[in-house]
Amino acid sequence: MISYFKTVFTSSWAFVAGLGITLRYMFKPAVTVQYPTEKLHPYPPFRGALLFDAATCIACGLCAKACPSSCIALAHQVNPETKKRVPKVEWYTLDLGRCNFCGLCQEACPTKPKSVWHSLDYEVVFSTRDEMVRCWKPGVPLGGRVWDPVAKDFREPRGHLPASASPARK
Amino acid sequence: MSRDLGSSRLWPTEVWSRPWSLPRYRAGAMWLGGIAAGIVVIGAGVGELSLWGDRLLGLLGRFGLPPVAVAWIWVLVKLGCVLGVIVANGLWAVWWERKISAHIQSRFGPMYAGGFHGWAQTIFDTIKLLFKEDVTPAAADQPMHALAPIVAIAPCVMAFAPVLFGTELAAARLDMGVLYIFAFAGISVIGVVMAGWASGNKYSLLGGLRAAAQIVSYELPRGFSVVPVLMFAGSLDLAVIDRAQAGYWLGFIPRWFVFYPVVGQVSFLFFLIASVAETNRTPFDIPEAESELVAGFHTEFSGMKWSMFFLTEYGYVLLSSFLLAAFFLGGGAAPLPFLRFVPSWIWMTGKAMFMMFVFMWFRWTFPRLRVDQLMDFNWKFLLPWSFANIGLAGIMLWWMLR
Repeated sequence: MISYFKTVFTSSWAFVAGLGITLRYMFKPAVTVQYPTEKLHPYPPFRGALLFDAATCIACGLCAKACPSSCIALAHQVNPETKKRVPKVEWYTLDLGRCNFCGLCQEACPTKPKSVWHSLDYEVVFSTRDEMVRCWKPGVPLGGRVWDPVAKDFREPRGHLPASASPARK
Repeated sequence: MSRDLGSSRLWPTEVWSRPWSLPRYRAGAMWLGGIAAGIVVIGAGVGELSLWGDRLLGLLGRFGLPPVAVAWIWVLVKLGCVLGVIVANGLWAVWWERKISAHIQSRFGPMYAGGFHGWAQTIFDTIKLLFKEDVTPAAADQPMHALAPIVAIAPCVMAFAPVLFGTELAAARLDMGVLYIFAFAGISVIGVVMAGWASGNKYSLLGGLRAAAQIVSYELPRGFSVVPVLMFAGSLDLAVIDRAQAGYWLGFIPRWFVFYPVVGQVSFLFFLIASVAETNRTPFDIPEAESELVAGFHTEFSGMKWSMFFLTEYGYVLLSSFLLAAFFLGGGAAPLPFLRFVPSWIWMTGKAMFMMFVFMWFRWTFPRLRVDQLMDFNWKFLLPWSFANIGLAGIMLWWMLR
């Protein structure tokens, strides 16, 4: 008889304790984020979409050699008078569809600050494969330009954050 | 770039936020606001209108209509009020439940629709449901499938007739109001069984049968746990039960039945548990167990047919809340003597809303019972102890009247 009531009271107490826990959690702040209006920013080691800076690049090509999925291509400028290489890029393309976000290009880059680096941008969304290829030329902003197969021309990327919104750079 | 946010946030990131969004992390007190909103939505409709009741009735008589016609129109007006309460409750309780569940699980719940904490979410959901295709499965029993939601919701509306929304404030004054409510609330299970049978789906059928077994079983402790209240009040009339709880012991302890030693608390708890089981809500929601029966009896219902079942569920939650308030929490009586200037319908709806919060709190706290545990709990625990409780109430009544 005593054990019966003991069971009743202990199990009832368990229910009351459970109710207390849920009540306590109700007054705690929510851990979720309202995504389109609030965004979480990853810590700097995060490897997001690759960015490139044509101003600091010396067109050495180490990043293209380091890339295991060969998503980087570039051409150096040539001085028209002396016909010699100039340590500046003519153009630089990154195929984000092939990039495996390993970070080897960033490691290989000899400039300081890095001229190719992983940003914190994780909102990399494309609607066509062509958009995945970004092209930089001197004077092009950090987001690069994408090839538009319909207009047969390069245009500003759309459908994702402007990369200038997350310029994390070591 | 990444600010150190201290140990308060576990996610090691920075939050960009609009200035208006930061206070929302502290919106856990939502249920208090919810109670207030519930009083406004449900109480204001009926409570404020009732002040004009006699005048409106007199106005109707002036048009030279025969008294029978006036009586019928008056009944229709009252029906409209009660129906409005049920529908408004459905719209509002779904939103409230979503907010409470979200905050219990450290989420936000609806936030966008309507601007303020997604208050218009259920309204937009209802519009969506109205435009949804009404699918009837090929194997379904067509007329039964169409009839089932009506059979489920009609008794729910009818059961609200004698429910008190405040002292002496009900659509109909019935001498056997308690019996009437229990009788009509018991009919809805036929709609559920019909839905399970007519769907032509074995899971739905199992859900319907489980609902029948569960609701019929839990009717017993639910009825017996009210018997002590009826014994103390000496009537089945809800208005008399309400009046019996007015007044105070020692000037400050309200004479509510829940404060009667042992008997009151046991009846209250048993009635609460059995009511949760009657409304098929979570610790006892085996008829619609998602993990076993893929939503049970309403799997094959879509659009407004499905929402009728939902409206029924929330209607019964409201009914049970009002009954708990009227039977045990003093109905329209104020908790302390100096608060008697507040209108009775505010107390009534406030207590009902608190009980509704308890229902939702239960739902998002307890895990679902197994079928055999459910039946064991009812027949081997609730029922015998509610009998013992009636005996105890008899002894107490004898001692009080001695």
